[in-house]
Amino acid sequence: MNFNIDEEGYLVDAESWDEDVARTIAQNEGIDRLTDEMMDVIRFMRSYYRSYNSFPILNTVCKNVHQPKECVNEEFIDPLSAWKIAGLPDPGDEVIVYLKR
Amino acid sequence: MADKEATATEEEPKVLTDLEKVGEPIVPRKKPNEIHPDELTGSIKIPKVQEGTAAGNKPYLCKSENMEKLGFPGDLREDWHDAAIAKMGDLLEKYKSLQVYMDICVKCGSCTDKCHYFIGTEDGKNMPVARAELFRKVYRKYFTTEGKILGKLAGAEKLDLELLGEWYSYFHQCSQCRRCSVFCPYGIDTAEISMAAREIMDHIGVGQKYTNDIIVKVHEVGNNLGMNPKALKATLESTEEDLEEETGKKIRLPLDEVGADVLMVTPSADFFASPHVESLLGYAKVFHQAGISWTFSSAASEAGNFGMFIGNYGQMQKVASRLTDAINEIKPKRLIVGECGHAWRIAYSFWNTLIGPFDSLDPNFKRPQHICEYTLDLVNRGAIKLDKSKNDHIIPTFHDSCNVARGARMGDKPGGQFTIPRDLIKASCNRYVEMDEETIMEKTFCCGGGGGLLTDDLLELRVKGAMPRMQAFSKVQESHGVNFLALICAICKAQFTKILPKYGVGMDVAGGVHQLVASAIDLGAKE
Repeated sequence: MNFNIDEEGYLVDAESWDEDVARTIAQNEGIDRLTDEMMDVIRFMRSYYRSYNSFPILNTVCKNVHQPKECVNEEFIDPLSAWKIAGLPDPGDEVIVYLKR
Repeated sequence: MADKEATATEEEPKVLTDLEKVGEPIVPRKKPNEIHPDELTGSIKIPKVQEGTAAGNKPYLCKSENMEKLGFPGDLREDWHDAAIAKMGDLLEKYKSLQVYMDICVKCGSCTDKCHYFIGTEDGKNMPVARAELFRKVYRKYFTTEGKILGKLAGAEKLDLELLGEWYSYFHQCSQCRRCSVFCPYGIDTAEISMAAREIMDHIGVGQKYTNDIIVKVHEVGNNLGMNPKALKATLESTEEDLEEETGKKIRLPLDEVGADVLMVTPSADFFASPHVESLLGYAKVFHQAGISWTFSSAASEAGNFGMFIGNYGQMQKVASRLTDAINEIKPKRLIVGECGHAWRIAYSFWNTLIGPFDSLDPNFKRPQHICEYTLDLVNRGAIKLDKSKNDHIIPTFHDSCNVARGARMGDKPGGQFTIPRDLIKASCNRYVEMDEETIMEKTFCCGGGGGLLTDDLLELRVKGAMPRMQAFSKVQESHGVNFLALICAICKAQFTKILPKYGVGMDVAGGVHQLVASAIDLGAKE
């Protein structure tokens, strides 16, 4: 594994992402084990970003991974942590501010 | 492996550049778990003045790349001192009000205990008169005869790096809410002084990351949240599906529909965030039930305009000009603005001079109109029906947003910006409770996150600045069981959602006025 994380915890080179990288970033975010359900969220965020080049609204995430509404939360997985684990770039201050955390 | 640890061990003591000296807090920023809000007692106590308790509150500096994209220098200019004074001279010339505010303060002290950031942080420099003094003493030094000759004896001071650092700190501890100006016998508007200070700082290469990054985002992608048109379309379609699931009806969230009667302009947070989206559903239900053809626009997918927060007229105009493109494309008859405080001030007070007149819009309607006025009119005419009993579990109070309360109006009568949102809440709920009169209407307290300060860099300031409002809220929570803080501003909604839990209050207590409309509206067949 050869990859870099910047000061804020974002993967520097998106191409270097794989699921092992994801697990290491997760540890950096304080998540010891990524469950299958968490990996579903992370894979969805990657595919959404590829299609739309944007941060998805959380209801869309939950709907697509077949979880109940408001599934992306502190108990399950923090949305910004999920985004970082998915190896995606800084979504901008306003997205961070408006994510319910 | 991550190279985080590797670089950490090699790090040498860093020599700060002049720009970093200005941007670096004198005492370190607190971590979220080190921030302890005051206990909620229901009363707002005026603190004893302390020195430097808020000195750790400085937002991050904007990086050179984005400074340059906005036409500002990417680093502190070598001739920063002379450039700052020249810019101050330009602003004094351009804005006569600023010149007047410099000269007429008599230090009466009326404003000293009126600022939420002073009450919350206890730092003397957060008293409005002391904040303005940071600007005024430089003004005296370079623009008054007595200051030029007598210097410090006349209260004049040279602008040096240390003072510039204080500017960067304390002019980013003003949310430009203008509460102090209500109590000033001369009407001095400290917000305008803060805006001028930020404009001077940007001009010499000292910019704030949060506000400036967001303005770049609007220019490059179209809105503060960075949702491009394709993402916005997908988001609205997804939310439409949720709406159909909830109501069993096809209630639309149209985008870019040429020829729609109403163009709806709202903060992009309404598309993205919670509880904001609940109000968005409210707008959609109202239009649906009233049978109005309407649309959002991807060109004008942001009602907010952070150009105002940095006091830069050019940026304000450039952000606003996106609306002109939308009007030319959609060709609507009417223009309606969603729940957003500073956006309504800009729409009501500035759009006409920035990008108006709106000659292509129907003159029989206000150009623009606030969504609260629009909805209340439909209710009053019986065009839509609200079933208050659906909100019987809710005991609401209303938090006036500063920019709506003190920077704009609404409707046809003076004070409409106070009565219209309240009347709409009362039309949606059987119960309503008012907070202490010293904290509402024109005397309302800022939520603590306005004016371009809604960033986690300033979390401590945001928690402390929310204290007066939290005390007033806790009083009616205790006395009347109030369980809903009704809001008409995207910033207020985000600020309270984040800050309420710090005070031990559930975040779901904060929500929009149209969230109440959305749950009360009768979506049955019209008679």
